[in-house]
Amino acid sequence: MIRINNIHKKFNPGTLNEVYALRDCNLHISEGEFVTIIGTNGSGKSTLLNAVAGTFQPDSGSIIIAGEDMTFKKDFQRARHISRVFQNPFLGTAPDMNVAENLHMATMRGKIRLPRIGLSSKQRNCYKAQVEQLEMQLEERLDNLIGTLSGGQRQALTLLMAVIAGPKVLLLDEHTAALDPKSAAQVINLTKKFIQKYNLTVLMVTHSMQQALELGDRTIMMNRGAIIDEITLKEKKRMTVDDLIDKFSELRKTEKLTDDMIEELRREYV
Amino acid sequence: MELWVGAVNLGCLYAFMAMGVYITSRIHHFPDITVDGSFTSGAALSAFLIISGCDPLLSLAASFFAGAAAGSVTGIIHTRYKIDGLLAGILVMTGLYSINLHIMGRSNIPLLNQVTFVTYLKGMNPGLPEEIWTAAILCCVLLVFWLAVSLFLKTDFGISMRITGNNPTMAGANGVNTNRMTVFGVALANGFVAVSGGLVAQYQGFADIGMGIGTILVGFASVIIGESILKSRSVFVTTLSAILGAIIFRLMIALALYAGMNPIDLKLLTALFVLVTLVISKYISSNETRRYPVLKIIGNVFSTRKPVYAAIAAAVIISAAVFTYNILYHKKIITPQKKWKIGVLQVSDNGLLNVTRDSLVNELNKIGYIDGNNCTIMLENANGDLPTVNTILDKFLQEKIDIVVPISTACAQAAINKVKDIPVVFATVANPFIIGAAKTEKDHLSNVTGVYGWVPMDETLEIVREILPGRLKIGSIWDPAQTNSVFNVDNLKKAVDTYDDVEFFGATITGSSEVYQAAVSLVQKKIDAFVLSPDNIVYSAFESVVKAARTKNIPIFISDVERLPDGALCALGYDYSISGVQGAHLVDRVLKGEKPADIPLEKYNKRTLGLNLTVAEELGIKLPTSLIDRATVIYDSKGLHNAAETSVDAAVKKRIVLFLFSEHTIMEEATKGIKDELTESGVLKEYNISVDLKNAQNEFTMAQSIVQDIVRQKYDYIISLSTPALQVAAQGNKKIPHIFGAVTDPFRMGVATTASDHLPNVTGVATLQPVETTIRIMREIFPKANKIGIVWNTSEACSEACTMKARKAVAEYGFELLEANVNSTGEVMDALRSLLNKKIDLFITAGDNTVLLALDSIAGVLREKKIPYFTNSPSDVEKGAFLSIGADYYEVGRETAKVAIRVIKGEKPADIPIKDCVPEKMYINRALAKEYGVAIPDSLFKKAEKVLN
Repeated sequence: MIRINNIHKKFNPGTLNEVYALRDCNLHISEGEFVTIIGTNGSGKSTLLNAVAGTFQPDSGSIIIAGEDMTFKKDFQRARHISRVFQNPFLGTAPDMNVAENLHMATMRGKIRLPRIGLSSKQRNCYKAQVEQLEMQLEERLDNLIGTLSGGQRQALTLLMAVIAGPKVLLLDEHTAALDPKSAAQVINLTKKFIQKYNLTVLMVTHSMQQALELGDRTIMMNRGAIIDEITLKEKKRMTVDDLIDKFSELRKTEKLTDDMIEELRREYV
Repeated sequence: MELWVGAVNLGCLYAFMAMGVYITSRIHHFPDITVDGSFTSGAALSAFLIISGCDPLLSLAASFFAGAAAGSVTGIIHTRYKIDGLLAGILVMTGLYSINLHIMGRSNIPLLNQVTFVTYLKGMNPGLPEEIWTAAILCCVLLVFWLAVSLFLKTDFGISMRITGNNPTMAGANGVNTNRMTVFGVALANGFVAVSGGLVAQYQGFADIGMGIGTILVGFASVIIGESILKSRSVFVTTLSAILGAIIFRLMIALALYAGMNPIDLKLLTALFVLVTLVISKYISSNETRRYPVLKIIGNVFSTRKPVYAAIAAAVIISAAVFTYNILYHKKIITPQKKWKIGVLQVSDNGLLNVTRDSLVNELNKIGYIDGNNCTIMLENANGDLPTVNTILDKFLQEKIDIVVPISTACAQAAINKVKDIPVVFATVANPFIIGAAKTEKDHLSNVTGVYGWVPMDETLEIVREILPGRLKIGSIWDPAQTNSVFNVDNLKKAVDTYDDVEFFGATITGSSEVYQAAVSLVQKKIDAFVLSPDNIVYSAFESVVKAARTKNIPIFISDVERLPDGALCALGYDYSISGVQGAHLVDRVLKGEKPADIPLEKYNKRTLGLNLTVAEELGIKLPTSLIDRATVIYDSKGLHNAAETSVDAAVKKRIVLFLFSEHTIMEEATKGIKDELTESGVLKEYNISVDLKNAQNEFTMAQSIVQDIVRQKYDYIISLSTPALQVAAQGNKKIPHIFGAVTDPFRMGVATTASDHLPNVTGVATLQPVETTIRIMREIFPKANKIGIVWNTSEACSEACTMKARKAVAEYGFELLEANVNSTGEVMDALRSLLNKKIDLFITAGDNTVLLALDSIAGVLREKKIPYFTNSPSDVEKGAFLSIGADYYEVGRETAKVAIRVIKGEKPADIPIKDCVPEKMYINRALAKEYGVAIPDSLFKKAEKVLN
């Protein structure tokens, strides 16, 4: 489904702020696969996601999604096939518009926007049903402005909007990182539910060791812009968090990680 | 009533613009300055199409597309080229200025007799008063507009647009091409703004290049006022708030004018009003309501759920305020009968217009109309804001004035469009024919008459040719946005065309800061004369033109006599005060019963020809006597006065320049001496001479510039003081008779080899330091002393001369002279100590500037060693010197002046030998003498001018 071939990306090349964000990344994800990505800060996880989403165009390499070469397409052109949930719960919804309108936007994705006025009652009932899935009692509040909802509720809505559009790929960028534990748990449950229901291909960046081990078929580890290791489902089933840490040490021996990074990883993940 | 309804109408027309600003600022969060330009574009295109025969409503459609085009350019610049939104708007707005001028072809298009939407409305009027009918129709149109826009914003497309502005990231993630959406939004908004411009132009009866200025401010104010009054965030309410805001804004201005506020304060009032509205709305929604229950009540009314009630409440409050004011205002007027009400209106606070206004009022007073007695004279000033002109006219109509007197073309235009039943007498209008007031002097609008006149540029050109015969290149500067200027320049060009040997060069400007460069560019094209037609901007920056013209001595011909003293050579124009006088008489005739239709338009009947004789002399131009005879105003050294008072020899005047190199007490004394001698001798009066003083402030470059200027200004005589002044002046001037003074040694300067063999135009008075006398006195006081020490700077010519004299003198009186040389003041103390080691008995400084700077330190050291210090500057005694003999520079000044007087009386400088003049002055420090235990002979004390005790 997703083929990332030899992607390189430098930001601000030739200046003092130059960052070599992606170094020769290669990744193939088949349809229906759920891949999680872990790594230290600045390892390029979000950048990889952005590359797939089309926020920027890579310096070299190609990105093929669902058989189509999307390397030079802009983000809104890829939006038909790709849905995103951002880390910032405020980024995914429009605060000055109500819930129904936001959902409406999602359903319109990829279609021509007609000057049809407002929402018909059929549409509203449909949206109401969708929102009920979230089990957050938001179905009563379809006409409330998004700005009045909490971060967890907004993120849940963003997730819902992401899936009802019927995408082929779902990109999740640490989407529970900014939520309190309860909301985070709710959102993760919803995530699992939706992925199963719609049989989506998912690429998820996470900071939580638990999530990395629990969710997904494969976990890849990134460091300094490159994909340095991969853990298959079988391996994951047998692993605990400590095992992951040991894995990091092992990698260090092959000089892919430094001491500081391992310490950082330990601090973060454990 | 007209005032308020008029305000509502104007507000409705501007509501389209407010909607546009709402879309860009509230939906796209884009501060769009383009509106200042697109508003005018709409007006320009609509006006242009209408006079070309197009249907007014179709022209509005064209305006919409023009505005949309402008907006899309802004949008593209911002989204595609990632240029900041504010900057993109400014760029497009600036470019539109030129484009709009092209569309209009000139700066102002009158729509007086054209078919506009107003004409259509009149046709449909079932009998209501015109303004009220207009208001009703406009409100209906606005209703439809409001619904259309709101519904549009609720469509899928509209929602996408709103989301693009609200959260661009999310919009992009949901498949919206945010760039395209933004461009569309900005284009749509500017389309609305342009329509607003077209409507306003048709309503007020003309389109003017300046009518868009300040639109963005009005738009913002309208949106903010609207938002503060209607709180709900629903789409329908927010769009309504923009419309209401526009109307309330205009009502507020009308209210202010009604209450007698000076239009100058309008902008301040706008800001204050918006501020108060914002603050109150904040208070209403905060906890402060507990302290002020009144606010809570108001707040409840304006709360989210009842926007309609809020609108009604706002209307009620405003009407209540209006009625209260009405009542208060009328209650004040319980005074006895006021007969006539005369409304005088000018477009801006401009000198020429003020002259007309003042002379009008004066003449009215003379005729017998006194404000407060038998009439009310209302003086209003729109301060440059065109919509305010309309509002002021509305106010006049409301006050039921008897006659309107607009001063300036813009006001006349607005008045003849608005005022149909009341007499209009205009003044200071250059060309009433092109604004549609009249076809000929007799064939004009029935309620309009007035005083007009344009500058006879062809006559001005003739005068230029009289003064500068032969092939001629003339240059002119003007602002193409002023109809009058363009008209006058066209006349000038036509006049130029009638001559084969005259060429015309022009430079246009848009602001006073550009005038200097425009003038310089014309100077570089080697024009022979500047010919400037009346133009507000050029006149306000007239000094810049003078500055540029001076560099190449180019004469300036203008049309405004008031500016003659500022550096123009000649002025041919109309006296603007006569416009006021003639206007007053026309007003009188109308008020006494004559119909304006029967009064033909009058041209100004007084012309003035002014000549600036000072400038003529400076430029070396001889004005033909026939011209001087025809002049009505003359400017010369006596000032500006009428020609009749000029005396014949006033033109023949001589000038002396007194040139100093630096300021120094010596120079001051000498200057005083010169002035006293010149005055007392009576030569200044006899030969009608003026004396100018110039000082180079101790700088050589400055001195050189001054001398160049002296030569250029063709002074008759130069008197210089001090050696460097002589040097520089002798170098730079070879012709003007030059008398020098306070110079130590002119021979070393190369000015002369002997007293009689010197430069033919230079002579003067040489004053050497009395070195010999000093040494003689030294011997007198100290019969036993042997060694005299001297420190001097070898590069000072004067010092060298003095030292040479000293060497001769010491030999004569039996002293030994020990010398030490220095190059700078810092070395002086060391030199002194070296001499002290050699055991000198006495010390002398002879006019050496370098050493004299260290005088205090030297005096201090010598005092310790009890060694008497002799100098040549009498004032040094106060600083610690023992005895000083110097030249009395006051006397030197007088001697110099005496030589100068000989030259003035007719002697050639070549025939006058250089005089040696050393009037001596002695100061003695008795206190030091006592300290050193030295006895000074009484005879010396007697000779001494001053003795310090």
